[in-house]
Amino acid sequence: MKPSDILQLQEPTLSLTDQFYLPQVLKGLGTTMKHMFKVVVQNDHRVMQYPEERREDLPVESGGILQKNYRGVHRLNKDEEGRPKCVACLMCSTACPAHCIHIEAAESPWPDREKYPAKFDIDELRCIYCGMCEEACPCDAIELTHTYDLVALTRQEMIFDKAKLLRVFDETVKEEPM
Amino acid sequence: MDQVKFMDAFVQILNWLEIHIPAWIIIALVVFTVSLLSIAYLILLERKVASWAQDRIGPNRVGLGFGIIPVVKNWKMWGLGQPFADGLKFLFKEDYRAKAVDVVLFSVAPMIMMTAVIISIAVLPWGGIRQTSVTMTIPAAVADKTAYAQQQFKSYSERTLVGQPVPVAGNDVYAVATNTAVANLPADQYTVTYRYPFQIANLNIGVLYVLATLALAVYGVVLGGWASNNKYSFLGGLRATANMISYEIPLGLAVLAIVVMCGSLDLGTIVEKQCHSWLGIIPAWNIFTQPLAFVLFLVCIHAEANRSPFDLAEAEQELVGGYHTEYSSMRFALFFLAEYAGMITTSSVCVALFFGGWDFPLLPFLRGPANDPMVSNWLVLCIVRALVFYTKTMLIIFIFMWVRWSLPRFRFDQMMALAWRGLIPIALLLLMVTTGVVYWYNGQSYDQMGARMGLTLLAANMLLTLLVLGVSRLLPAAPATNRRVQVANSRFNFAPIPKA
Repeated sequence: MKPSDILQLQEPTLSLTDQFYLPQVLKGLGTTMKHMFKVVVQNDHRVMQYPEERREDLPVESGGILQKNYRGVHRLNKDEEGRPKCVACLMCSTACPAHCIHIEAAESPWPDREKYPAKFDIDELRCIYCGMCEEACPCDAIELTHTYDLVALTRQEMIFDKAKLLRVFDETVKEEPM
Repeated sequence: MDQVKFMDAFVQILNWLEIHIPAWIIIALVVFTVSLLSIAYLILLERKVASWAQDRIGPNRVGLGFGIIPVVKNWKMWGLGQPFADGLKFLFKEDYRAKAVDVVLFSVAPMIMMTAVIISIAVLPWGGIRQTSVTMTIPAAVADKTAYAQQQFKSYSERTLVGQPVPVAGNDVYAVATNTAVANLPADQYTVTYRYPFQIANLNIGVLYVLATLALAVYGVVLGGWASNNKYSFLGGLRATANMISYEIPLGLAVLAIVVMCGSLDLGTIVEKQCHSWLGIIPAWNIFTQPLAFVLFLVCIHAEANRSPFDLAEAEQELVGGYHTEYSSMRFALFFLAEYAGMITTSSVCVALFFGGWDFPLLPFLRGPANDPMVSNWLVLCIVRALVFYTKTMLIIFIFMWVRWSLPRFRFDQMMALAWRGLIPIALLLLMVTTGVVYWYNGQSYDQMGARMGLTLLAANMLLTLLVLGVSRLLPAAPATNRRVQVANSRFNFAPIPKA
């Protein structure tokens, strides 16, 4: 480190009101009072009362989100006859970078396909919601929905099995996938 | 009709309590209960003020139903249940104590802090002086009726007789006194008028008592920091001690200016001197005659209460949590509550010293007769006075919070410089000026001299402020702080900085 590397900064010279501090204190107090007045009297604040107000209900310019772009909880799609579309090819679990999809294939009871998933578990706590499974799926069986408020009381509840994933499909069937 | 009956019953209960129980016991119970509840709600208010200043709403979810009590369980009530939820949380948290702490001091420190702060509320004059009379049976044989009546009040030491016992007209009865010594003697009924101060302890050195007990609170801080056996706690304790001791001086001097002016150390008397108006409208509060003393006092009580911008004892960025780093659970809560209790105490002292106590010019009925403004013949009036006092206190506390969320923290040397190079010289000058003015008016206090002395003091304050502003420009600058120091053999050493 050479002396030329040192940048000498001049401290800004204080004005008279800066030096006596109190006038600037009053100025600062005035600023906060303005904010308090805005919140308390005019109800103008930057808070969203979350469960009652949601970001997807707001336009993007005022802090909302485009929920159509959100990759949330998975669902297992059903075909017209109500059977899971999945053919247990294991493409999704192979593609998954977080190794959160666990599939056990079994012989299909239906004549139009060879295999079907006897078990299909996704650990939603491990999942990084990258959407690779969705990309890899050859028959559009697995999809990410836009549901983002995913909560549970135990870790076990966060491991979604086949029935639960199919239930997610029933709940979100009207939404168009991403 | 029902309301009238209810009020009647209420007044009757009050009267019964007043006659049979020493007033200070009831006042102490009420004052301490109300202050402890206020502390809980001040924490909620602090969080609310913080949010408002930051464009947020603040805690608003926990109602008084806590989600379990039927009917009200889903009412949010602006978060009014939050303090109780917090308190419960503190009670049930693990009371962790590190192995290396000094067990006794560690446990005692928060208690000292809380006790010291809360007992200083005792001398505040909440409601002036209450005057009332009772009918008393006094044996005819007793020569000194006044002494006998006073003797009857021996369990009520705060009661003093006013004038002589007056015989009840047309009601000469021969009652039997219960006192065995004068049993079966003829006796008459007398009306005995007495008064008692509407406060917990009527101490004629009230101001001194408050300053002394508040200074004791520093023991809590320093013992807590020391007993934790943790260098950050210790540094926090050291800082708090230096802070509180330094600001004790200008605080005492500012208070002394008021004491010299009012000629009394009794908070009740100081309030009494402020209980009149100039020109019919301007209240004779000390803030109008001694604005400089008020500013000094306000700054010092911020430091005394260890509040921002003087809260470097608990500077999170440097010292983890300061002196209460090692504390958890209810022990920590005591430190936390003591901070707010300190705010209540210092603010109410501020109200008594500078804002006329319970006096309020828009409510002229609060004052008693002009020659004796402290005295009230109605108990309810005393209670209303106490409420006015309390409201003023809360407003001062709001200033505390407002300041906390507006100003950044001082650096340690800045804080010390402010006390020793700024406040203490100004406070000394102010004390000298006040003493001079009082001497000029032949030692009479300003309520006797009327508005003239008040105006003189106000002018003196203004002049002193201007003088300080002018002279401080001429004083030599403080030594440079944060200067770069060369270290032997360091590769970060630099060539001497050229003078600009």
